[in-house]
Amino acid sequence: MRAGNADLWSGLALAALAGYIIVQASGWDYTGPDGPGAGFFPLWYGIAMAALSAALVASSVLRSAPESVDWRGAGRAFTVWLALALSVAAFKLVGFVIGFAALTFFMVVVMYRRPAVVAAVVAVALAAGFYVLFQRLLDVNLPCVWIFCPG
Amino acid sequence: MRKRIAFAAAAALAALAASAPAWAQGFKPTRPVEVVVHTGPGGGSDVLARAVALMMEKEKLLPVRMQVVNKTGGGGAVAAAYLAEKKGDQNTLGFFTGVWLAGPLTSAEAKVTLRDLTPIARLVLEPAVIAVKSDAPYKSLPEFIAAAKKSPGQLKQSGGSVTSRDNVVRQLLQKSTGAQWAFISFPGGGERIAALLGGHVNMMVIEPAEAGEHIRAGNMRVLAQVTDKRLPGFPNVPTLKEAGFDVPAVPQVRGVVAPPAIPRENVAYWEDVFHRLTKTASWQKFLADNQFEDGYQNAAELTRFYDEFTGRMRGILQEAGVKLVR
Amino acid sequence: MDILSGLMQGFAVALQPVNLLWCFVGVVLGTVVGVMPGLGPPATIAMLLPLTFLMNPAGAMIMLAGIYYGAKYGGSTTSILLNVPGESASVVTCLDGYAMARKGRAGAALGIAAIASFVAGTVGVLGLMLIAPPLAKVALAFSAPEYFSLMAFGLAMVVLLAGRSMLKALLAMLVGLWIAGIGTDPFSTTSRFTFGRLELLSGVDFVVVAIGVFALAEVLACMEGRAEGQALPVPKGLRNLLPTLQDLKDCRFAFVNGSVLGFLIGVLPGAGSTIASFISYGVEKAVSRRPQEFGKGAVEGVAAPEGANNSETGGALVPLLTLGIPGSGTTAVLLAALVLWGFKPGPLFISENPSLFWGLVASMYIGNVMLLVLNLPLVPLFAQVLRTPGFVLYPLILGISIVGVYSVSGSLFDVSLVVAFGLLGYLMRKLDYPAAPLVLGLVLGGAMERALRQSLMMSQGDLSILATRPICAVMLSLALLILLIPSFNKLNAWRLQALEE
Repeated sequence: MRAGNADLWSGLALAALAGYIIVQASGWDYTGPDGPGAGFFPLWYGIAMAALSAALVASSVLRSAPESVDWRGAGRAFTVWLALALSVAAFKLVGFVIGFAALTFFMVVVMYRRPAVVAAVVAVALAAGFYVLFQRLLDVNLPCVWIFCPG
Repeated sequence: MRKRIAFAAAAALAALAASAPAWAQGFKPTRPVEVVVHTGPGGGSDVLARAVALMMEKEKLLPVRMQVVNKTGGGGAVAAAYLAEKKGDQNTLGFFTGVWLAGPLTSAEAKVTLRDLTPIARLVLEPAVIAVKSDAPYKSLPEFIAAAKKSPGQLKQSGGSVTSRDNVVRQLLQKSTGAQWAFISFPGGGERIAALLGGHVNMMVIEPAEAGEHIRAGNMRVLAQVTDKRLPGFPNVPTLKEAGFDVPAVPQVRGVVAPPAIPRENVAYWEDVFHRLTKTASWQKFLADNQFEDGYQNAAELTRFYDEFTGRMRGILQEAGVKLVR
Repeated sequence: MDILSGLMQGFAVALQPVNLLWCFVGVVLGTVVGVMPGLGPPATIAMLLPLTFLMNPAGAMIMLAGIYYGAKYGGSTTSILLNVPGESASVVTCLDGYAMARKGRAGAALGIAAIASFVAGTVGVLGLMLIAPPLAKVALAFSAPEYFSLMAFGLAMVVLLAGRSMLKALLAMLVGLWIAGIGTDPFSTTSRFTFGRLELLSGVDFVVVAIGVFALAEVLACMEGRAEGQALPVPKGLRNLLPTLQDLKDCRFAFVNGSVLGFLIGVLPGAGSTIASFISYGVEKAVSRRPQEFGKGAVEGVAAPEGANNSETGGALVPLLTLGIPGSGTTAVLLAALVLWGFKPGPLFISENPSLFWGLVASMYIGNVMLLVLNLPLVPLFAQVLRTPGFVLYPLILGISIVGVYSVSGSLFDVSLVVAFGLLGYLMRKLDYPAAPLVLGLVLGGAMERALRQSLMMSQGDLSILATRPICAVMLSLALLILLIPSFNKLNAWRLQALEE
C-alpha cells in the first residue's frame, strides 16, 4: 500500500471521527448556566480535527512521490494481536492464569517456532510466576476462576 | 469399650444439642469481609472504611477482618454496579455516600440505585460550614447574601460537581433569598481550598475537619454552620436557621449497603454489628475527631431517608437546570 | 525555627537506626512498586497504613515518603528497557530512553536517569526546606486561568514532538483531547462519548492508554520480523553500561531544567509529575543545540523528564505540609495518613511539629543518596534483562501490561481497552503518527478544558481574563512563541536557501 493511500484512509477515518464528535457535541449545551457547556470544547476540537483530516486527505491525493508503508510483517503482528484479544476475552471464563499460559504457548510455538515442550515450560513458568507474585505475595487480584481465586 | 463409645457419642450429641441455639442465631461471616468503596485510596469513603475496619478489630465486633476494595469510577456507579452483580453474596458490603443517591438521577449509565441494593444502616452525617477568606468584608452570612443580591452573579463559590452538597446548599439559599452567585466546580478538595485562599472565589462550603487548621491559622473565617445543632467545635457560629435562613441543613451522608437478595437474618446481623459499633468509645472518638454527627439509622429508616432524599434532590436539580434522566 | 537548627534536629531524627531502616524499606519498596506498571504509590501506601500504627509517626512518614519518591526512580527502568511506562510520569522517558536502549546504550540511559533523579530529588528537598512557605503563598496566586495557560503551554510543546508530519502530530493530539473528554462532565453531569457504558463514566485511565500505545504496540511491532534470539542489543563495554563523562556534560542544562521545572510545577496543586516531565522535555528540546536527536536517543531527553518527575515529589509536599492541601493522588493518601495518626496538616503544621517536618526533610536527603547507591550499581544488572530471549520477554511484557492495568481498577473492561489501544498504537506506528502528542493531548486535555471553563465562570464569560492576569498572559505568550518556532525554522531555511542561490 502506498503511503499516499494509507494517509488517505487514515485521513478519512479521522474525518469520520471528527464528524461523529461534531454531531454529538451539537447535541449538548454550547453554553451552560454558568459558562461554557458540555458541548463547547468537543465542538471546537471536532472542527479542528475535521479541518486537519481534510488537509491530510488533500495532501495525500496531491502527493506526487509517496513513500510506501512496509506492511510485510503486519500479518504476524495482527495474528499476535488477535491471540491477545481472544486470550483477554477468555479471562472471564478461564481466568488469567490459564488464559495467559495459553497465549504464551501460542506465541512461543507459532511466532517463534520453538518446540512445544519449551513453549509449555515457558508458559507455565510465566503464568505461575505472575500468580505467585501478584495473587499470593502482593495481594493484587487477577482475573480468576476456580482454584486460582482468593479465599 | 462399647460403653465408652456410647458415652462419647452421647456426650457429642449433648454438645451438639447445647450448641444448637448458637447455630440458630444464624449468620456469621467466616471469610474476610470485602468492603467496597467508590473512591481511590485516601479518598473520603476509603478513609472511613479503613477506620471502621480498624475499629471493628479493636472492639472485637467481628470474627473476621474487613478488607477495603476500591472500585472507582462514575461517582459511585461502578461500585454500585459491582455490588449489584454480587447478588446474594454474604461476604460483601459497600460504603455509600450521597453521590450514590444522586448519580442515578442524572446519569443514564448509573442504573443501580440504593433501592436495588440492600440498605443496612446509615452511619454518619457530615455537617459543613460556610467559610470565607479571613480578609473578606463579610462577617456574617446575611452580609454575604446582601452583597450577592447587590451584584448578582458576581460573587463566586468553589465546590464540587453540580450534584454535590456544596451546590445543593447554594441552590437552596439562592431560592430562599433570591440572591444569585456563581458556582465553580473543582474536582479536588485541595484545589477548592486553594481557590478560596488565593482570593479567586469568595466563599465555599467546607467540612469542619478540613477547615479546622486554616481557621486556627487565621486564614479562614466561618460565617454559618450547615447543621441543625451547633457543633462542639464552633460554639459561636450560628446555624443556618439561627442566621435567619429557612433552609434545611443538608448533610453529606455515609452508610452501609449490601448486595441484593441477602437473607433477612444477614441484614439483622449487619444492622446489629454496626449499631454496636456506633455505641463504642472508639466510634465516639472517631466522630469527635472528624467532627461528624452520629447519623445512625437502621435499614428501614435508611430506606425512608433514601426516598425523602432523592425526592428533594430531584426538585433541587430541576431548579438548578440539570437534566434528569430518572 | 532557623533552618540550620531545624536541619540539625531533622538529621538527629532521621539518622536514628530505626528511622534509617524505615527509610531503606520505603525506598526499596518504592522502587519495586515503580517498576510495575499500574501498581502505584497511592495504593501501596494505603495498603501499608494499618502497619504504620505500630511505628513511630516520624518513621512511618519517612517510610511512606520513601515509597513516594522511590517509585519515581523505579518507573524509569521498565520505560527504558521495555518501553513499558512503570509510572504515568515515566511515559516521556520511554521516548528517548527506549531509543537509547535500541541503540545498545540501555545502561547509559538507566544510569543517567538515576543521576538526574538524584540531582533533582535533592534540589526538590532543598526547595522544600528553604522556600516552602513563601512559595506556597505564590502558588495560591495560581488559579484556573493560570492553569489553562500552563496547559496551553504544555500543548504547544506538541510542535516540538512532531517529527516529520506536523499534520499527523496535531491530529494525534486532537485524538488525545477527545479521549480525555470521555466521561462525565463535572460541570453539567452530562455523559460524553460513553457509548452507554458505565465503565467509561470516569473516562479512560491514562495508564490504559499509555501501556497500550507504548508497550503493547512495541510488542506487536517486534513480532513482525522473523524474531530470533534477543530483543534488544545488550550493552557491552563500560561506555554503554554507564553514562560517559560526555553524557554528563551534555546533560548539564537538563539537570537544572528538570529540577527547577519539576519542583515548581509540583507545587501547583493539581498539576502532576506527568505534566512536569512533558514540559521539562519540551523545554529541553527547545533550547537544545541538537533538537533533531530527541526521540532518537538523546541523553538529555532522558535526564530532563526523569529529573522533573523526581523534584516534583519535593514540590508536591510543599502545599501538603505548608497548607494541608494535597496536590496529587499520593499526597492525598499521605494527608489521610497524617490525619489518621492524629496530626492536623495545615498552615501551623510545620511550626507545631518541627521534628516531624525536619526529620522528613533530612530523611529525603538520605533517601535520595540511598537510591543513587542502590540504583547505579544495579544498572549493569538491569541491563542484563535484555539478554532474555524474545520468546520469553515478549509474553512477559504482555503479562505485565495486563496485570498492571488490571491492578489499577480491577476491571476486565480496562484490559480490553488496553488491547484496543495496543492495536491503535501499532497502526499509528505503521502509518507514521507519533504517539507522544496523543499522550500529551490525553494528559492535558481534561485539565485544560476544566481550567478554561472555570476561568470563564470566574469572569462571567469574559475571555479577557486570560489576558489581564499577568502570569496567565506571560505563559500564553510563551505558548504562542513556541507554536511559531517551526515557522521561524522554515523562514530560516528559506533564508539560507535564498542566500545560497
